[in-house]
Order: sequence, then structure tokens, then C-alpha cells
Amino acid sequence: MTDQQDTTDSTDPGRSSDANGSVPRETVSIPSEIELPDLLDFYERQTPEHTQIAEFYENLDDGRLTTTRCTDCGEIHFPPRIVCPECMADDLEYVDLPHKGELFAFSESRGGTPLGYHDTSPFVVAVVDLGEIKLSARIDDARYDDLEIGDPVSLKIVDIEGGSASERVFYRFVPKGDTQ
Amino acid sequence: MTRNVAIVGGGTSDWGDRDASWKDLAQEGGKATFDAVPDIGPEDIEGLFVGAVQPERFANQTHVAPMVAELLGIDVTEMIARTELACASGQAALRYAWLAIAAGQLDTALVLGVEKMNLGREHMPEVQSSMANVLDREFDGVNGLAAPPFFAWYAQRHMHEYGTTREQLSKVAAKNKTNASRTDFAQFQSTVEEDEITESPEIAPPLHLYDCSGITDGATGVIVMSEEKAREVTDTPAWITGSGQSSMAGNSINNLPSFDGWPQAREASQNAYEQAGIEDPLSEIDVAEVHDCFSISEIIEYEELGFCERGEGGQFIEDGRSHLDGDVAVNPRGGLLGCGHPLGATGVSQALEITQQFQGTVSSDRQVEDATTGLIHNLSGSASVHSVMTLGRDPQ
Repeated sequence: MTDQQDTTDSTDPGRSSDANGSVPRETVSIPSEIELPDLLDFYERQTPEHTQIAEFYENLDDGRLTTTRCTDCGEIHFPPRIVCPECMADDLEYVDLPHKGELFAFSESRGGTPLGYHDTSPFVVAVVDLGEIKLSARIDDARYDDLEIGDPVSLKIVDIEGGSASERVFYRFVPKGDTQ
Repeated sequence: MTRNVAIVGGGTSDWGDRDASWKDLAQEGGKATFDAVPDIGPEDIEGLFVGAVQPERFANQTHVAPMVAELLGIDVTEMIARTELACASGQAALRYAWLAIAAGQLDTALVLGVEKMNLGREHMPEVQSSMANVLDREFDGVNGLAAPPFFAWYAQRHMHEYGTTREQLSKVAAKNKTNASRTDFAQFQSTVEEDEITESPEIAPPLHLYDCSGITDGATGVIVMSEEKAREVTDTPAWITGSGQSSMAGNSINNLPSFDGWPQAREASQNAYEQAGIEDPLSEIDVAEVHDCFSISEIIEYEELGFCERGEGGQFIEDGRSHLDGDVAVNPRGGLLGCGHPLGATGVSQALEITQQFQGTVSSDRQVEDATTGLIHNLSGSASVHSVMTLGRDPQ
């Protein structure tokens, strides 16, 4: 350190400022806004060039909630797969799931809500029991205080606006009776 | 294998909403660790294990283990890794260090857990969205399912199945926040009365704000050593006597084994107990640092760790059996509810607390008398993994 300090001298041309007494300076910009990148978007890219479970989303777009069943061992999976975790077979078929189920558990997101959803808080998010499977889902048109375990709910499909270039869909549920 | 392995000591940064970057925290935690173990310096470290969950999202940085090596001047000669197991990442780092030392690969390791989570209030939704990614993002996170409503389901189901009460949840939170008032690095050092808990905002009913752990910046480290080397440093290390993990081919909602219990915690703890020779956990374990990410979690953990029967966790806290002077002191440090939860640092901090409980160096008002057997537990993600490690004042 001592040696180094000895060379640090205002007369050292390598260390002093330029003739005007200032170092060059300019402004560089970063974008103030960017389009939501796909990878920061909760909704999966749903088309066949992005995922091998595109058929699930195509069926959903057609109004059907489906999942995969193993043609070898008969196991029903959810979420849908391309390989059966029970027997490692990869010959799977899409089968229909019920569109009506019951609330198994539920809460309402009122704080600590993730990006992209915080503007819609509060919302109910639940475990829906469809018999063969359980899944998590948002429950629209409902408030926590009006719901009970075991309440019937039925399927609703939402079209996703924005984000990825392709048109996308997802499923939610509503208290039964609100649909028809 | 295997050799005896010990934690000889460690240190921590202050935890909280810190005016500090990820790298600042790593340096503070590293310095505190080496300061606490003066016989060991960076030049002695052969293995470095860094617990960190989401530096990619919270600090826009990956490959963080070599960054820590540089910041702390460590030439790693044997093994370097960053571990990610969501909220159990720190415990996973400790487990890797234990295995590497037990296997004879190295003698001296630094385990450092680091997380930077507070990015300013305006960025909180972004932080929460990163947290939701620890679930199956495509089918579960996509529903806006962050941790509070997920654990609220468990509270609802536990109440439904077993009659657990809202008051019992409050008793857990009040206990841990009282304990944290005696922990000088804790994020939340104010005691909270039971009725204040249900007066706090409902984040995800039936859970209120004070039922939830914090969003926390912090870094904590421990030095882990082989028996031969540890005995050169201290006469009172904490010996790692058992370590178990369990995950049951289930991570997304449909594939979780239960919504009112965690059989993975039961299996992980039984594996650890078997290694440690623990037959009756309630009578043999003096001090336990368990993953109270939410108040309901601790109630379920009493049951699955074998402190009481399934469904009796609410009564267990109501009877005060997990208090400092109870049958087993649970979360004397203040737990995640009191200390906060800098994800990657939590497991390391729990292990340091047990070590310091054995060494008698914690604040005297949270010292568990004659503590000789301890436990740390962490769940992670959708509680799909449970990790349990037993520690003893004597090696096995």
C-alpha cells in the first residue's frame, strides 16, 4: 500500500483529471417501460410449438376440461403429462373431467397478492374437488364470507387478453347456480 | 462413510427491511460468522455451500456461490455449490456440507444463507409473484396462489377436521413474537398480544398479518467441521446426529398427500430420529426450531414431528407445552413469525440458534435450561418437501 500511495500524486498524468478538470460524462437510457415478457407471465405458452400438452389447452378452448390418462395402467393425472409417473409409459390419452365439483378448501387473497393479480385483489382461490382429481382454481363471483366447505361450483373459461402473441385460455370456477 | 460432523459456531447479519444489497448482506453474514469463530478464517474453508432461493429474481444475479467466495476471500479447494430448495434452501446447504464432511471429502465448510427480498413497497407484487413460482406455476401459481391462501387452506382444513381454533393460532404467533423480542437480530422485536393478532389485517382468511412470517433481508452463516478439526476449535460444538428428508411424488395441488397434515414431515423426522437414536421425541428433544412460516404450520408440525398426536397440535400450544419452559421449547429464537424469513438464511439461522443454545450464548432470557438435544425443521414450496435435522451436545 505504501508504495502505491507514494505514486498517487496530483502531478501524475495517469491519475489526474483532464485539462478541463472533468471526466467525460454522458447520459445513457434504459427503457422506462417494456412489454410483459412471456417468462414473467403466469400463464403458460399454450401452442404446440411451445408445449406438448397443447391438446389440454385446445380442449379447454373448445369448452372441455380434460386431462391425461395412461392407456397402459389407466392412471389419471392432473396436471396433464406426457409421461405417466406411475408406469413411465408415454402413450397417454385425453379424457374429460367433470365440470362440476365441490369446494374442498378456500381462502381469499387480500394481501401479499402477486404481480398481475394485485389489482384484482381480493379474490377467492380454492381447492376444487372434482372427484377423480383436485385442483386449485380461482372462484369468481364469490366472497369468502359467503362460502362453505362442500359448496358446489362449476367450470368457467376465461380468455386471456394480453401477454403472449397467441390467444390463450384458462379455467376458473363459479358458485353453482350462477352459471345458468 | 461416515465421520462425525459438528457445527462449531456462526454469526448473522441483522435481519429486516435492510438498506443493503444482496452482496452487502453476504459480506455482513460472512464477517459475522468468521468473527464468531476466531480460530477459523477464509483460508481454512475447503467447501462453500450457499443457500439462496431467488437471487435471479430478487437481485438479478445467478451463480452466487463463487460471488460469495470472492467477497469473503475464500479459495475453494473441494466443493462449491448454491442450493435451492425454496424455503429449505439453507437447511439443504447445511445438509450437503454435512454429507461432504461425513464422507471424508473435506474437513471445513462455510454454510451461508443469503436472501434479499425487500425491494421497496412498490415492488412487493413482483416479489410475491416470484414466491408464487415455488408452486407449480402453470397450474397453481397461475391462480394467484401465493403462500398466504395456500397455508390458509391448511388452517381451514385443520379447523374443519380437528376443531383447531382461531385462538390457538394466535397463541402460536404470540409465543413466537414474544420470543423474538429477546433476539437482537430479529426483524420483529415487539411483543404482540393474542387479541392484536386477530385485529391485524386479514391477509388470507382465516390468517391475519401476524399469522404470517415476514419479507426479510438477511444472511447467516455457520462453520461446519469434521470431528477431528472441530475439537481443535471448541469443546462445545453442536453435533449433527441425524438428517432426514421426504417428498412424496407430489408438488402440485392434486398430488399433495394431505391438506391437514404433512406425512412428509413425519417420515423425514422418523428417519432423522432413527439415525440419532431418538425414540421419544417429546421427552428427548429439548429445543426445536421449526418452520412456522404461518401460525398453522407450527401446530401441524407439533403433530408430525411426534410431539403430540395428529389433531392435538392446537391443544399442545393451548397447554403451553411448546413454550420456553414447556415440554419442548419450540422456536426460542422467535421463529419465522418473529425473526422474519430471508428464505435461504432461515435454516442456517435455526441451526445456529440450536448451536448457541447448547453453548449457552443466546440471550439469557431465551436460554433453554440444560438443552442437550435439538432439532431443526423446514418445509418448502407447497410443503411438498420436509427436511429435519437433529443436533446433539454429544456426538452419536
